[in-house]
Amino acid sequence: MKAFRGQPSVFASAQPVDRRAELEVKKIFLNFGGVMALHDVDLTVRTGEFVSIIGPNGAGKTSLLNCITGYYHPQKGQILFNGEDVTGLHPHEITKKGIGRTYQNIELFPGMTVLSNMLLARHLYCDYGIGKAALFSSSVRKKEVYQRQVLEELIDFLEMQPIRKKPVGSLPYGMRKRVELGRALALEPKLLVLDEPFAGMTLEEKEDMVRFLLEFNSAWGQTIILVEHDMSVVMSISQRIMVLNFGEKIAEGNPDVIQNHPEVIKAYLGEATKF
Amino acid sequence: MGFDQEALSSLTQYTLPQILFKQAERLGQEKIAIREKMYGIWLAYSWQDYLRYTKHAALGFLALGLKRGENIGIITDNHPEWLFSELGAQAIGAVTVNLFTSSIAKELTTMLNRIQAAYVVAQDQEQVDKLLEMKEQLSHVRKVIYVDPTGMRTYTNNPWLMSFKELLDLGADLDAKQPNLFEEELWNGKPDEVALMIMTSGTTGIPKLAMISHQSFTEIARKWVETAPIGIGDNWISITPTAWIVDQMWGMGVSPLTGMAMNFPETPETATEDFREIGPAVIITSSRFWEDLASKIRVKIADAGWIKRKLFELGERIGGAVVDRESKKEPVPTYLQVLHKIFARIVYRPLLDRVGCSQIRAAITGGHPISPDVIRFFRAKGLNLKHAYGLTEGGGVFQVQPDKEVKPETVGKPLPRTEIKIAEDQEVLVKTPSCFVGYYQDPEATKKALRDGWLHTGDAGYIDDDGHLLIIGRKEEIMRTKGGEAFSPDFIETRLKFSPYIKEAVVFGEGRDYITGFINIDFGNVGSWAEDRMIPYTTYTDLSQQPPVEELILGEIRQVNTQLPKPMRLRKIILLYKLLDADDEELTRTGKVRRKFVYEQYIKLIEAMYSDQNELEVTGKVRYRDGHVGTITTKVKILTVE
Repeated sequence: MKAFRGQPSVFASAQPVDRRAELEVKKIFLNFGGVMALHDVDLTVRTGEFVSIIGPNGAGKTSLLNCITGYYHPQKGQILFNGEDVTGLHPHEITKKGIGRTYQNIELFPGMTVLSNMLLARHLYCDYGIGKAALFSSSVRKKEVYQRQVLEELIDFLEMQPIRKKPVGSLPYGMRKRVELGRALALEPKLLVLDEPFAGMTLEEKEDMVRFLLEFNSAWGQTIILVEHDMSVVMSISQRIMVLNFGEKIAEGNPDVIQNHPEVIKAYLGEATKF
Repeated sequence: MGFDQEALSSLTQYTLPQILFKQAERLGQEKIAIREKMYGIWLAYSWQDYLRYTKHAALGFLALGLKRGENIGIITDNHPEWLFSELGAQAIGAVTVNLFTSSIAKELTTMLNRIQAAYVVAQDQEQVDKLLEMKEQLSHVRKVIYVDPTGMRTYTNNPWLMSFKELLDLGADLDAKQPNLFEEELWNGKPDEVALMIMTSGTTGIPKLAMISHQSFTEIARKWVETAPIGIGDNWISITPTAWIVDQMWGMGVSPLTGMAMNFPETPETATEDFREIGPAVIITSSRFWEDLASKIRVKIADAGWIKRKLFELGERIGGAVVDRESKKEPVPTYLQVLHKIFARIVYRPLLDRVGCSQIRAAITGGHPISPDVIRFFRAKGLNLKHAYGLTEGGGVFQVQPDKEVKPETVGKPLPRTEIKIAEDQEVLVKTPSCFVGYYQDPEATKKALRDGWLHTGDAGYIDDDGHLLIIGRKEEIMRTKGGEAFSPDFIETRLKFSPYIKEAVVFGEGRDYITGFINIDFGNVGSWAEDRMIPYTTYTDLSQQPPVEELILGEIRQVNTQLPKPMRLRKIILLYKLLDADDEELTRTGKVRRKFVYEQYIKLIEAMYSDQNELEVTGKVRYRDGHVGTITTKVKILTVE
């Protein structure tokens, strides 16, 4: 019954320790040849926070995300996740530590269905070997059913029932973004990192996405880092905002502080602009 | 199947919730009463589960303070909670009214005010928001119970709101404290009491509320069981709005009485897919459902490969030939019978399976006259599609074509214990025990509709030589041209709408020299037609004014004109720049055109069709869901059909 809808069971059953997401980025430097992408950047995220990173094009937002998720390795500095040094780790290792992400340019398998794309993310939770899987033993079957259950609850929450069996390639852009979010959530990440999830969306799709993110954050206690260009969205949903410009952090604080911060207004929004 | 007449007639002495109680005793835990798709699978509820939830809903209402004789409003989509709250409220003697979830806040408020609803069951945040917006005018509503808790987190402090789960818990608590309370309340009900009220579609003026007693529904259900091959374990899929008589009749009447399972789709968008998975045994839908399906099949076939296309065409001819002979009661030659069997295997069955219709024993269309071509189209494929006729005031559908004598243009013969006669002014009159009690707080209208036990339907028709009833149209809608020739706009419109390119048509001509019409093109089908021909377009408005599209529609109209008697032929048309919409009050919520309103709204365009003008500049209004009104300024061309 719809009346019994609620938090997906994996999130409802998550213990505080599963949710713990303390991220500390300490003085990192990232250069590409002579180009300075990140210069002495610090960032701290506490469990349950909703933090946004903004900045003009080329400010280093995605570079910072790529450092956190292991795609780039900073030349100097340290990244700690739950007290563990993750600076040199590869993306798949970082995923195992509990950081899930979406991409600026959708990275899904267009020929596969929504369900298969999301199921891929569940490989983290499949502990059986190839032999058992090939025989599809009863223990494997049980686990597969469980994985599907987890996904179905996410599909229900993200309202993707009509598209669950459609190939991703046939979906409109906004929907693909939603599928990607679904896949990231299927990882059951402690920290969810979103790279411009609102880009190219219609107003209605944006509203849906905002609704989902707020629900994840406040009801499920999901820790989120968001990189986004859409100012109205960022200002209305973030608890804390960090502003980057030319690879350097120029401001950090709650939306009110950022909106009135002279540096931000000057560097990012132009002299006389007000939100 | 195999229905025990005695058991059946013994059930008719009970109220609807009492019947559920009896069936839960009889069918218990094994038989499935309700299926609902959720999380990608079909979840089943047994008859005992059904009773338990209904009981808890009933006691929940009782604990809240709902009293016998009070009214409640239900604004839900097709989900089991609808059945639980409706039968639950009826079990303790309250009267229920279902409203459309697509209604705007003002419409909901008007209706809730009229029934002075004590409680409202609302589907989700969207419906709750509408009610909150109008809260000041809804002082009689003591609590709003929302079904889907998604997004309601921030509303929890509002004492006016309560979740359906809390209602069930409240009921379960009361049940634990007073285990006999439910049965005491349940057996207080009498079958001749009003159980529910249904909004009549209101093509003219504001909708009236028809009061239906428990008895009307048990009687109509009994009629169905006696005529249609249905029984325990058969499937019904609930896809029409719950505010409409069809699902009310089935969910409240036929399903509890026969033991048929109610199936609820996952979301409205997945209904087609879910429909196919269930493969219902009987289906009653509006004519539009079949018209849309026929045109969808045709468009898909046109896109298919050469072999499939040719096979389909051949199948059409063979099936059509068989159906034509059967309806004229001529013998079908052996070679045709053999061919028909072969094509059933290779074309018809796979096609019907694709659209989820392969298990259907009786497919029934009602609500609005359907083009005989659509009936022929599906019957030629072996689908037992037939026309039925009914009225909310009559308790639902009471007139169906018998299996062996389906005639495309008629609405068949009366079901058992139903009498039909034609009045002098050609109005159809009905006498049936399933008849409604009267209109809510409107004795005058009741007196007009019910005279000496005969229900005045307001439809004009006649009975043909085989005893079949034939409906021409609404009595007040039979029109005459200036020359005195009678015509029925409905008759012409349904024929126009069979074209896959025409979504809606409105015909005018009363007291005029000739007949004219507005056409709404089908955006999807005309759009893909235009794409195939590399005709660029942007919006609906733009597409509707493209010269090649005009030619396309004119061609369709010429074809329809050949099927119509001379005085009924269309002379001039306008391709309307916007779709007629219920939000603009141009259609009723069930999708019927409100002719008078459209006439007044577009009088300038209509006058232009009776002048020498070829083109007209217009400014039209469009109302959006949020109540905000926009305008469209465009040029409209007046097209002459030679």
